[in-house]
Amino acid sequence: MGAAIAARNQGPALHRPRRRRFNHLPYALITPASLAIFGILAFPLGMLVYLSLQHYGLRELFLHQGTWVGLDNFRTILADPLFQQVVVRSLVFTVANVALTLILSTLIALLMLKVSRPIRTILMGGLVFVWATPVIVAIDIWQWMFDYEFGVINYLLTQIHAGNFIHHNWFDNPFQGFIVITVVVVWGAIPFVTITLFAALLQVPDDVLEAAEIDGAKPWQTFWNVTVPILKPIFLIVISLSTIWDFQVFNQVYVMLNQRPSSDYFVIAVYSYRESFGITQYGLGAAIAVVMVLILIVVTFFYVRQTLQTAEIGA
Amino acid sequence: MNPRKFLFGAIGLAIATVVAACGGGTPTTTAGNETGTLTVWLMNGSAPASVIDGVNADFTAKHPKMTVKVEIQQWSDIGTKLDTGLTGNTPPDVVELGNTLVAKYAAAGLLEDISGKKSSFDNSGTWLQSLTDSCTVSGKLYCAPYYAGSRAVIYRKDLFAAANVQPPTSMDELLTVGKKLMAAHSSDPNFSALYFPGKYWYAALPFIWDFGGDIATQSGGKWQGSLNSSGSQQGLTTLATLVSSLSKADKSGDEAKQDAAFAGGHIAMIIANGWEVGVITDPKAGDPKLKDKLGVFPIPSHTAGQTAPVFLGGSDLGVAAKSKNQALANEWVELLTGNKHMNEMATVGGVIPNTTSMLNLGTGLNAIFYAAAKNSRFVPNSQNWASVENANVIPDMLVSIFTGKAQLPAATTSASDKITTLLNGS
Repeated sequence: MGAAIAARNQGPALHRPRRRRFNHLPYALITPASLAIFGILAFPLGMLVYLSLQHYGLRELFLHQGTWVGLDNFRTILADPLFQQVVVRSLVFTVANVALTLILSTLIALLMLKVSRPIRTILMGGLVFVWATPVIVAIDIWQWMFDYEFGVINYLLTQIHAGNFIHHNWFDNPFQGFIVITVVVVWGAIPFVTITLFAALLQVPDDVLEAAEIDGAKPWQTFWNVTVPILKPIFLIVISLSTIWDFQVFNQVYVMLNQRPSSDYFVIAVYSYRESFGITQYGLGAAIAVVMVLILIVVTFFYVRQTLQTAEIGA
Repeated sequence: MNPRKFLFGAIGLAIATVVAACGGGTPTTTAGNETGTLTVWLMNGSAPASVIDGVNADFTAKHPKMTVKVEIQQWSDIGTKLDTGLTGNTPPDVVELGNTLVAKYAAAGLLEDISGKKSSFDNSGTWLQSLTDSCTVSGKLYCAPYYAGSRAVIYRKDLFAAANVQPPTSMDELLTVGKKLMAAHSSDPNFSALYFPGKYWYAALPFIWDFGGDIATQSGGKWQGSLNSSGSQQGLTTLATLVSSLSKADKSGDEAKQDAAFAGGHIAMIIANGWEVGVITDPKAGDPKLKDKLGVFPIPSHTAGQTAPVFLGGSDLGVAAKSKNQALANEWVELLTGNKHMNEMATVGGVIPNTTSMLNLGTGLNAIFYAAAKNSRFVPNSQNWASVENANVIPDMLVSIFTGKAQLPAATTSASDKITTLLNGS
């Protein structure tokens, strides 16, 4: 906001005829960053696309030379019924996980506004602790809790008479299995989203909320008509980021299922990895990854647009 | 620290690193005078440290200026590591390969063809047949057999005595004995007479083979999946009956936790490798009190008095095609697979040695596992076998049979078709 006001004060200066002279300095200043982005992002992505257009197996890896096959890899995967299942499964999984993450995180963030300071500190501490737990360690712990033979979840469910869960395999039925995976993913995603939303909620001006209350708005109406519109940019960013994370979920499936998930559990990242490293068809695996990137670009588009808009408002 | 000193130190270190790296790449060739580093990848748990130290001592006695770097690898991600390691420009010189993995790497040209050097290995005339087969691709030898593992039934002698039963000598008897044990423990809902996790395909193969079935057969260069042959189906039907009447193990789980489960009591028999006896009686992972209560008998055949053929697991030692130290690498392999150290592998390590001439070294419970290796079989030796394993074809088939998700004939036909496609793939 400061910059905008300053610019307005210097109004007449803006109408000075612009110099045509090329100023090298800004470009020089962004060069290192551009090179770094190119090096770590554009180059590997370009190589991925290049790889997806080749037949690249173990022999080709040995010779460092693939065989050009054009769009064959893409034709193969698009014709593969398993691939279509995998994409649909990944999309459904993503929607469910993002929705759950958002709802639970918003509720916890609202709760944190209401509770006393010590409780809030404890809640915050718990969230940071979850966030700081390395993902592999967390998955191992969850895996033990849901274990067939030694799991505490089966024991507790049986103890509280929720049914006979002794020797219950949670992964026999893929639907149940994905519920477990969803629990682990959402559990891991809640801290970041909650803390972000909590910080945003603190920015909602009290006078606006009070005004709504004086006008007779119920808490739910206040939340829906005042808080949500103010938080909209933050919600959009959090939704975009969560979508990106949940769409490429890998560890929670792969490690949870002892690195041997059956095809019922293939989400797109696992499928790509299996094709690449499992059956050493790197070209095919790359093609799947390219499709994944394309789907994510659509999501990222909203994120970038929102970031730009927010930046404009902030300027 | 003096920054100047630090700088020189760092430069010195950098030069040393570069020199060392170059040394590894280009050893001088005068015998006994070579310099550099020989990199060896061994798998976790394959050889006792004392054996490796002995091999390295013998090696450096001949080549005092060489350094041997033994790097221990984990089984879980070894496929990816081998793919990248063996295709890179500075591969490990010697690699231990699980015997089902060799064909893939040999066919892609990643391993040195050592056919001409076979006679320089001790006992190469009496190498275990299944291991030699695993090293042979299109008539050429690509690795040296290292050691083997075969499975038998580990059982609780005390539980057998209490139920008044003897180790069975046929598959029918296995079921009868198992049922008696189940009846004796009918008050324990967790009790398994024979604990058999659904994905445990290594232990399912003996049943398939015993009735004359197989995973796949080859004729005219083409593979044909045969899990749906009548022999295979008979074997699987027998196994499914055993599992449904005797096992409380996870029907869709794997065997990773079976030793821990066995050590916890509630189990009378498991199908296991020889080394698993050590895990079961381990003070940390298992229960040392079981030491004197364990017995072993071979997996019985459906023909009374005979034993079923078992899957011969094991490892081979290959030399990377891109290794710059091939001669030295082979020399190291000759030492580890040679008489002196192979003897230690058997007596200290307790694994089955690579030659039939040493099968008499097994003592105690080990003797049964050693004997089982004599009647052993192997998976189809195709470069595409790794794809079948990675696609989980056989475990998935077993799970759907045991859980009743699919009828046995349909499940075996579907698995068989998948195997045919995968094995004949490019």
